[in-house]
Amino acid sequence: MIFKSNGQADVEAGLFFAGFGILTAALSLQYSLGTIAMMGPGMFPLILGVILAILGLVILAKGFMGKGEQAKPLPIKPILLITASVIVFALLLLTVGLLFAIPAQVVVALWASEHFTWKRALLLSAGLLAFCYGVFVYFLGISVPLIAI
Amino acid sequence: MELLSNLDIGFHAALSLNNLVFCFIGVLVGTAIGMLPGLGPLATIAMLLPLTYTLEPVTGLIMIAGIYYGAQYGGSTTAILVNLPGESSAVVSCIDGHQMARKGRAGAALAIAALGSFFAGTVATLLIAAFSPALAEVAFLFGPVEYFAMMVLGLTAATLLAHGSFIKGVAMVLTGLILGLVGADVNSGTYRFTFGSFSLTEGIEFVAVAMGLFAFTDIVTNMRNDQTTREVKAPSLRSLTMTGKEFRQSIFPAIRGTSIGSLLGLLPGGGAMISSFASYAFEKRVSRHPEEFGHGAIAGLAGPEAANNAGAQTSFIPMLTLGIPSNGVMALMIGALMVHNISPGPYVMVSNPEIFWGLIASMWIGNAMLVVLNLPLIPLWVRLIQVHYWVLFPIILVVCCVGLYSIQNNTLAIYFAAGFTLLGCLFWRMRAEAAPLLLGFILGPLMEEHFRRSLLLSEGDVSIFYRSPLSVLMLSIAAVMCLIILLPQIRQGRKVAFEEEA
Repeated sequence: MIFKSNGQADVEAGLFFAGFGILTAALSLQYSLGTIAMMGPGMFPLILGVILAILGLVILAKGFMGKGEQAKPLPIKPILLITASVIVFALLLLTVGLLFAIPAQVVVALWASEHFTWKRALLLSAGLLAFCYGVFVYFLGISVPLIAI
Repeated sequence: MELLSNLDIGFHAALSLNNLVFCFIGVLVGTAIGMLPGLGPLATIAMLLPLTYTLEPVTGLIMIAGIYYGAQYGGSTTAILVNLPGESSAVVSCIDGHQMARKGRAGAALAIAALGSFFAGTVATLLIAAFSPALAEVAFLFGPVEYFAMMVLGLTAATLLAHGSFIKGVAMVLTGLILGLVGADVNSGTYRFTFGSFSLTEGIEFVAVAMGLFAFTDIVTNMRNDQTTREVKAPSLRSLTMTGKEFRQSIFPAIRGTSIGSLLGLLPGGGAMISSFASYAFEKRVSRHPEEFGHGAIAGLAGPEAANNAGAQTSFIPMLTLGIPSNGVMALMIGALMVHNISPGPYVMVSNPEIFWGLIASMWIGNAMLVVLNLPLIPLWVRLIQVHYWVLFPIILVVCCVGLYSIQNNTLAIYFAAGFTLLGCLFWRMRAEAAPLLLGFILGPLMEEHFRRSLLLSEGDVSIFYRSPLSVLMLSIAAVMCLIILLPQIRQGRKVAFEEEA
């Protein structure tokens, strides 16, 4: 809310890149740096991190001067629900099996849409279950538990 | 004659029943998914990549390539019929292609697009076959210094030509390079940035990165377009034939489009999208009736359609011969090669000729399939476009997630995809293009290796990078490109400042 200039996208991008660069540089210090001729595992990431941090600060400055781009508003509900649906699938796949993981993912994901109904979720789940079992398990021979309990 | 014997190896590999079937599946599925607005070739390939892992390397690559030009072609069909670009390189086809459709020439427009693409595909395939060996010869002369310089040049050019802010693109490349370094260090064996996780020692699964940043992020950002009702009238098959006049009018634009596309596809960062824009601009300039453009000019459809297909195909040349991806799709192809333990570069042609030439031959076969397949199937495609988004996105999500699991029978990749979805949405908000990140991610380990080896050879003398003439040339081009892109921004900034004063 503090930054209401039209450089919002660049302010945020600058902060992100600078932060990520500094983090990388800091973390790479725990590995041996070596010399220029005999570089250790820490040298290359350190160089990249420092350059990225500098670029991030330039982008940030650009944003503060109002020369940056306008940020796009994030669609919060779809982001949370779509991401959650992916995590739910991962959590359930090996603990209770494909038979439950797919419907759970479909329900959570479909919630993000305005067209959610239980009937649609059920139909989609049934179709996807048949498709995934057919293609991945039967045809490609991937070992994934249908029911893991 | 060597070309003929090479093509013979290629067709021998590509014409095996197995490879034909998977080429067909790739083209069919690629077209189907490419038609859906909002799902471009990158997201389509990322989604279907795990399916190809269990196949033979050559079969898998043939299928991926089929998906790529299928998606390319499908995008144009959507553009012509409903004025929605199925993917970015089809934006131009919307302009005149859709106008033709509105004048009742939808069938002719689709036929021009299909035949133009086929012609361009044939020429580009021959070009790849003719020039790749020569380019690979050059690549054999490259040492670590030249490789490093070429990667710098390639990444710079790719970022430059991608849309969006240049400086944010460079920052995205660096972010990708860093993420690519996660895992065991090749030289010392040290585990870097793994935070004690054993699963991370082989690095972050790149399919998870691609799916999160492209397929899943696309779903989130497309959700609000959910409502768009798409009313499409299927053109009757009878109207698919074009008149002799339309055919004659499309010949020269298609030839010019093919030349432009073939050239631009070779450049790092080039490929389908830039080729189609360049061809449209060029056709409008040379046309004797520029006022027709935007109102269903045949040249405005035939040129860009040929160009985007030619560009899509010749962008395989730097990937196959040098191992340098010029765009996001090629980065995925390199990833797919690495999964099969083939390190892309000039050696592929020698060590795996059946893969190299088989892929090239399959491109031509795939293009022929596209023509045969698409024209009669148009009524079916039209119905596909009308499928609601709420049906599509759960399908994409579930197929991607099962696919991610199947790569290593491990759910870790799925969690990573979830993380990269959040990151992708953040990048979308910050208007930072995600494709440069993927290029960096693929090239990260290679770039580090060549950088370290160069300095090891020179015993720590940094001047080695400007002692090799080739390396100097490439690094200077990269520097000049940076300057060119930065200058107008400075000028523009000044202009804004002056206007504010006035």
